[in-house]
Amino acid sequence: MQIIKERNKAKPEFLNGRSAKKNGEPHGIRWTVDEYYKIYELGLFYGRRVELIKGEIFEMSPMLSPHATSIRLVYEQLRAVFGKGFEIRTQMPMSFSIRDEPEPDIAVSKGSVHDFKESHPTTAVLLVEVALTSLRFDRAKKLKLYAENRIEDYWIVNLKQRQLEVYRQPSGVNDETFDYAEKLVLGVDESVSPLARPKAKIKVSDILP
Amino acid sequence: MQSLESVQITSIPVAPFIDDAPEIPTQPIRWNSDAYYKMAEMGLFEGKRVELIEGEIIEMAEMRSPHITGVMILGNLFTEVFGENYCVRTQATLDLGVESQPEPDVSVVPGNLRDYAAAHPRSALLIVEVSDTTLALDRSLKASIYARNFIEDYWIVNLRSRCIEIYRKPFEDPNLGFIYSERTVVGEQQSVSPLARPKAKIKVSDILP
Repeated sequence: MQIIKERNKAKPEFLNGRSAKKNGEPHGIRWTVDEYYKIYELGLFYGRRVELIKGEIFEMSPMLSPHATSIRLVYEQLRAVFGKGFEIRTQMPMSFSIRDEPEPDIAVSKGSVHDFKESHPTTAVLLVEVALTSLRFDRAKKLKLYAENRIEDYWIVNLKQRQLEVYRQPSGVNDETFDYAEKLVLGVDESVSPLARPKAKIKVSDILP
Repeated sequence: MQSLESVQITSIPVAPFIDDAPEIPTQPIRWNSDAYYKMAEMGLFEGKRVELIEGEIIEMAEMRSPHITGVMILGNLFTEVFGENYCVRTQATLDLGVESQPEPDVSVVPGNLRDYAAAHPRSALLIVEVSDTTLALDRSLKASIYARNFIEDYWIVNLRSRCIEIYRKPFEDPNLGFIYSERTVVGEQQSVSPLARPKAKIKVSDILP
């Protein structure tokens, strides 16, 4: 199967990931999770890392070492802070809705691994995305999705600017308004405490590669 | 047991440094025609009106009466105007390559029906899109792919404004990509002639439903 690398550089920005307009105008097709799995079964995702957000399938770029390293560092820090009673997953699906199945870099959910035998977690006390090439996406599409699903604690490890962005107080009622009311930026000399573990202190420098 | 000295260590590619990491934004997944037809076969498009355009599957609203009528009127008109040696196709696939498989409302191709029994035509003398809810799409993305494939004569029947937009002289602009450099709007009181049939004067009022 041929893989197309480059978009026509001057392609009119018609769709640009826009979700469907309600007045019957053309839009990118949107899928349900069932259809998404059928496409997977056809082998059409072979060699690609994908997520389903608002019914649109997004392709992630291949993972680079700094990104992978940061994920491991975050995991180790969180594992030490969240003991038994929390399941911590990296790059695994979350079931938010019939059209939303993102794969956050790190997800901390209440429960044990056995609780998710039959189905993916539907929520988390903390989600973390490590951003190297995906910053815009993590701050926009993913941020809205997580705010919509009332994820109380959402962090972006911004590798390029070497800072941790902390988003709290999810709010909003529709796609235009989903957002986080509280946004903090922490530098390499600072520390952060997960909302679910307010006494724990994690140094930002310990999660940057 | 092999001693360590005799083991050849091939160089391992070094991952790019953070600063050099390419800005590849997360993108909606792109499909090729192979994947598109497999999905169609699997029934994933049942009940939907879709086209593959520049790697994206675009979904359109079901056609309403004026649109259907407009297409049929043109089908009959062009059959008369073009005669025996041409084939007038309605909503049939135009094979514009691995990323684009549009289904223009009306296309006029040389030859007869059977010439295209084994494969879709890859070009057309004239393409017409009847626009009810699809005007923006037809003017931007569709115009772009038709221009890029040097479709010399491209019309949009603008049902809402009751006029016909004629696009000619496709070319590649260094900044805008493939566009039509000539655009004429013809009203109800006027006539149009296909480039391939310059003597045929067709009243716009005869085309509009």
